[in-house]
Amino acid sequence: MPEIFSEGFFPNINLQDETNWATDFVRDVIIPRLPEAVAGHFPVELGTVLVMVAFAGIFVAVVPLLPLVLVLAERKVAARFQNRTGPMRVGPWGTLQTLADGIKLIFKEDYIPPQGDKLLFLLAPYIIFACSFAVFAAIPFGDGIPIPGDFNIGIFYIMAISSVIVMGVIMAGWSSNSKWSLLGSLRSAAQIVSYEIPLGLSILTVVMLVESLGMQQIVASQDGGIFTWLIFRTPFTFIAFFIFFISSIAEVNRTPFDLPEAESEIVAGFHTEYSGMRFALFFIAEYANMFAVSAIGVTLFLGGWQGVLPGYDFLGGFPGFVIKTLGLVFLMMWLRWTLPRLRVDQLMNLCWKYFIPISFFNILGTGVWGLIFRHDDVWSIGISCAIIYVGLISAYAVAGRSLARKPEPQPS
Amino acid sequence: MDKYIRNIYKGVYTVLVGMRVTIRQFFQPNVTHQYPYEHDFEKKQNVREIPKGYRGQLYNRIEDCIGCKKCELICPVDCITITGDKLPKGEQLWDSMNVVHLKDGREVIGIIEGDDKKIMSEDSMTITNITTRLGPQEVIDRLEASEDESRAETFSTDEVSRVVTRNPVVFYLDQFDIDMSLCMYCGLCTEVCPTQCLVMKDSLEGIEYSSFDRTDLIFEFDKQEMYDKDETDNTEAAD
Repeated sequence: MPEIFSEGFFPNINLQDETNWATDFVRDVIIPRLPEAVAGHFPVELGTVLVMVAFAGIFVAVVPLLPLVLVLAERKVAARFQNRTGPMRVGPWGTLQTLADGIKLIFKEDYIPPQGDKLLFLLAPYIIFACSFAVFAAIPFGDGIPIPGDFNIGIFYIMAISSVIVMGVIMAGWSSNSKWSLLGSLRSAAQIVSYEIPLGLSILTVVMLVESLGMQQIVASQDGGIFTWLIFRTPFTFIAFFIFFISSIAEVNRTPFDLPEAESEIVAGFHTEYSGMRFALFFIAEYANMFAVSAIGVTLFLGGWQGVLPGYDFLGGFPGFVIKTLGLVFLMMWLRWTLPRLRVDQLMNLCWKYFIPISFFNILGTGVWGLIFRHDDVWSIGISCAIIYVGLISAYAVAGRSLARKPEPQPS
Repeated sequence: MDKYIRNIYKGVYTVLVGMRVTIRQFFQPNVTHQYPYEHDFEKKQNVREIPKGYRGQLYNRIEDCIGCKKCELICPVDCITITGDKLPKGEQLWDSMNVVHLKDGREVIGIIEGDDKKIMSEDSMTITNITTRLGPQEVIDRLEASEDESRAETFSTDEVSRVVTRNPVVFYLDQFDIDMSLCMYCGLCTEVCPTQCLVMKDSLEGIEYSSFDRTDLIFEFDKQEMYDKDETDNTEAAD
């Protein structure tokens, strides 16, 4: 840890760093193509920053297309779960429906509640939007695809920046001057703050095993095929993955944890008063978040862009990464159409009574595991997979039998 | 502690059971009909039988229409538009014909041999020059399957419920339009129709209207085609 602070807040944006991809790009690609007179005096530092900004610009342009696809996918998947067809009118099989909705939202009135806090009201969607997209800066999409924010504290940065979203939510709820918004934002605050603890503790198990906070290092440590993915590395990370996944569903306010937006109770929660493009920003941010947490889950537990077989990463692993991420997104949608919304007390019970103790147990177990097996080899991974397998089988058998043996006491 | 672990078991187990239920639904075929484009409601099993006498879509058997304009006059909402002219004196489109209503719902249009005023007193009657047979679809199908080429048929008087005599057609019909978006389904026009050619369908075909253009709901009954068809029929018969 001391090195991190000694190098400054963003240690990897050290312009003297030889391994910085943007500096390499400037030195290898741009400077040789410049005229001789200019090449000697070309400021490498400025060029590095410009290349980074340009690449971030590509992200800012491309990433908003993602929610466009995801919203449609959500509607189509939801329709399939209810034996419907979903949107079918705009474009072939309704593929342009989201675009039409977006255009509609652009032209709608941008209403600002006159009694509310105008500045905060205008600012809130931008904070949420910006934080959602800032997360994408540190996600490794594939081998050789440069990361705009390639920090050695990548996962820490992601946790930090995604926690700022709750600020935007509270601002939106407070400034709307509406009961529904305020209740929704307070619920959201309670929920996100609570669930960040098991989320962080689950991430910590991974960080303990990899001994690094950098996303690239975490992915690089899982390069031996499916059984070296961190989810199978120890039985504790297997549990941690599910805690991480469920907590991240709660983090992005999706069903069954959508209390901040519970339609039947508080209209639309913190974005009740928003309309037009500002509402669309909330919507886009929600789906971008959904993709982002899935991508983080894939990076941390499911091997990132590493292939199922060792060394097999097609096109730098990018397609595999997207497939895995969309698989987790589908799992989120599947859960959404399976489970009803939790009550507030159930939500808090689940977090504080179950997830947090189990997460601490995971950390303890991972530490002990790390002491027993100093290096990951065939033995440690084999024992881990065997424990997971036996655990699942016995849990299946025991759960079925014990549930059948002791029925719930009937209320008299 | 026992309860704690049981709770976890139960939570995970019930969620998995729920997920199994939903993923089964995921692979079921969908039930949506793209309604205005897909009119396959007739194939649906749960459509009830339309009762006889149901006042559905108006339909004019234009070959029987004499253009008397009674329906246009009586229509409370003016949804029927008729234009036409009398033929020059002495001309007529065809001779008088008889519409024989049978008790099983069929109608046969032709010329009754002999004196049609006295038919009900005789045991049987023969209809020649049959032009049209109407009735329940399954009866018509059965008849058409067994029908011979002769356009004559003999019925016993017990089968016949009533006979309508159709006057010689001396009125040339240019236009007979019914705007079904205006129709209020009172059925007055079908009651005044002297030849009983204006009827309301009691089939599934007439129970719904969906269209992107209101003019699609104006049903035109064109007699000109029938005049042409009659001529071609005659020439074929002559050949």
